[in-house]
Amino acid sequence: MDLLELRDISKFYGNVKALQNIDLTVKQGEWLAIMGPSGSGKTTMMNIIGCMDKPSNGSVVLEGTDISKENAKNLTNIRRDKIGLIFQQFHLITYLTALENVMAAQYYHSMPDEKEALEALERVGLRDRARHLPSQLSGGEQQRVCIARALINYPMLILADEPTGNLDEMNEGIVLDIFKQLHRDGSTIVVVTHDPEVAEGTQRTVVLEHGRISRITQNENK
Amino acid sequence: MFLRMVKGALFRQKGKMLMIAFTIALGASLATAMLNVMLDVGDKVNQELKTYGANITVMPKGASLLDDLYGIEEGSGVSDQYLRESELGNIKTIFWAFNIVDFTPYLNTKARLNSRNDEVELVGTWFSHYLNLPTGESLNTGMINMKSWWDVSGEWLTDQDENFVMVGSLVAGRNNIQVGDSITIDIGGQTKELTVKGIFDAGGDEDEQIYAPLRVAQEFTARPGLISRIEVSALTTPDNELSRRAAQNIKSLSIKEYEIWYCTAYVSSICYQIEEAVTDSVAKAVRQVAESEGAILEKTQLLMLLITILSLVGSALGISNLVTASVMERSREIGLLKAIGAHDGAISGLVLVEILVTAVVGGISGYFAGLGFAQIIGRSVFGAVIDIKPMVIPIVAVLVSLVTLAGSVPSIRLLLKLRPAEVLHGR
Ligand SMILES: Nc1ncnc2c1ncn2[C@@H]1O[C@H](COP(=O)(O)OP(=O)(O)OP(=O)(O)O)[C@@H](O)[C@H]1O
Ligand SMILES: [Mg+2]
Repeated sequence: MDLLELRDISKFYGNVKALQNIDLTVKQGEWLAIMGPSGSGKTTMMNIIGCMDKPSNGSVVLEGTDISKENAKNLTNIRRDKIGLIFQQFHLITYLTALENVMAAQYYHSMPDEKEALEALERVGLRDRARHLPSQLSGGEQQRVCIARALINYPMLILADEPTGNLDEMNEGIVLDIFKQLHRDGSTIVVVTHDPEVAEGTQRTVVLEHGRISRITQNENK
Repeated sequence: MFLRMVKGALFRQKGKMLMIAFTIALGASLATAMLNVMLDVGDKVNQELKTYGANITVMPKGASLLDDLYGIEEGSGVSDQYLRESELGNIKTIFWAFNIVDFTPYLNTKARLNSRNDEVELVGTWFSHYLNLPTGESLNTGMINMKSWWDVSGEWLTDQDENFVMVGSLVAGRNNIQVGDSITIDIGGQTKELTVKGIFDAGGDEDEQIYAPLRVAQEFTARPGLISRIEVSALTTPDNELSRRAAQNIKSLSIKEYEIWYCTAYVSSICYQIEEAVTDSVAKAVRQVAESEGAILEKTQLLMLLITILSLVGSALGISNLVTASVMERSREIGLLKAIGAHDGAISGLVLVEILVTAVVGGISGYFAGLGFAQIIGRSVFGAVIDIKPMVIPIVAVLVSLVTLAGSVPSIRLLLKLRPAEVLHGR
């Protein structure tokens, strides 16, 4: 079943054509990589999928509903209920502990549940660092907190924009392992990356150039 | 969780929050100090002005009439009307008794000095008189309090100095009198030998007079228990239209106006009440002093008001700037909260609660610091304690909350307009 469908999406910033006529479908449980040179529109596309931005043209269909015409409030709700976001710069709240950062996502979604939040941190191997502030964590650890936060509300779609862009090789490995595990558990993941190694682990790679899809490769082994 | 987030924001960013609280405290303390000083400055200036002498004179009815009609002064022998010394205490029993700061009786007589034809005026008075009031209280009053600016060489007299006098500088100069000299005073053929204890420079008509204790003068002139004039120093409310009308004709006031006037410390209503308390007396404001007092007071108050407004505006700008800046720098955080599903209301609530908690902490400490500043100002400018006016509290509270809201609400709204996509990707 198709979880997500982009139909003839375009996005313009003034006369900058960030995205042009994108058609793409993502299946339930699929792990997809988006690659492309800088400025090719990867982040723009992620923002549109993640309900953070609206396309200038075309429609976004999530679980059979067109969400491209929704207002900001509804988009916030859809994002909250269905999507987990992971950023290159982590974006943890500096004055909250790892645990509280995860719980904040629960709070705005439904109800904070400390036990569940601790389990989420456990899954990314940070249970013992739960009471630490982001400033007391390494970059890799911060990114794992960010992943725990993205996962806490069981999103149907996980979007990660260069999640390993700021990490060293070892931390990149840890994060990739988490992604693999998520994939095995049946999560749908879209990840933007510059790193062929990351892309290799995925099932399909979409390459963007100048706002258009220039190539799609199926990774046979998966 | 909301509380946990607020606590986290407040306690784990102590430095930043303290900085904001400190600015708010600074603004609030400035406002508190200036408001307190402004509200109290009227009393202070009034008190200050009191040191420059009496503002009410009380005379016998007849003498006052002659004075009005012909400019003839009491003690000139023309009028033989007197007030009673025993009624002096009544002045402290009037409605505005607490506003009466000091009063002194005078008994004036023409006299000849050292058997020459040179006429001088001998004045009997209280220097520092301990008085038991009809109310059972007691009071220390007299010349020394009221003429504190007199420049005295030698010493002030006391009321017990039977054989001493104080001589005005002009009389002393003309007759070549030094402190310690003996002089002879001649009143109607009776003479008395007295020693000069002090020579004073008052800078006025008094420099032509010789002062002795009231009792000495009364015995000398055979007018026991009589006085010819009282000077009263009273704290008064500056005159306004109502008090001026009352001063011209009390009958022109309606009953309600009369009550307002009677129960306000106008110099005219205090005069009126003194007349009620002292038999056959006429109390009059010493015009120049009373009026310039009101004018000085008004000007000082206007000045203070302007300074207060300016300092309020200044602290308001300071606070709202810092608050705006501190909200603005949270754009990423707010973007993130939005990204994880927080609605605008929830975010505004969070930020506002944090700012308000900070403002309350800052405002309260600022208020108390401001009380301190007010006292420092009181000390250095007026040499007196500034009374704390409770009405400053609501003013400062409203001010601080308005200013912090004004500083934070627009910036929060601005941030909410930002789309998370823009802030989170660090463009
Ligand atoms: N808010 C905006 N206003 C104007 N132009 C924008 C805006 N956002 C993106 N663009 C432009 O759209 C194009 C695509 O940007 P996008 O961020 O999607 O690229 P990207 O593929 O994510 O690049 P990178 O690999 O550097 O992150 C770029 O030319 C960018 O300058
Ligand atoms: Mg990008």
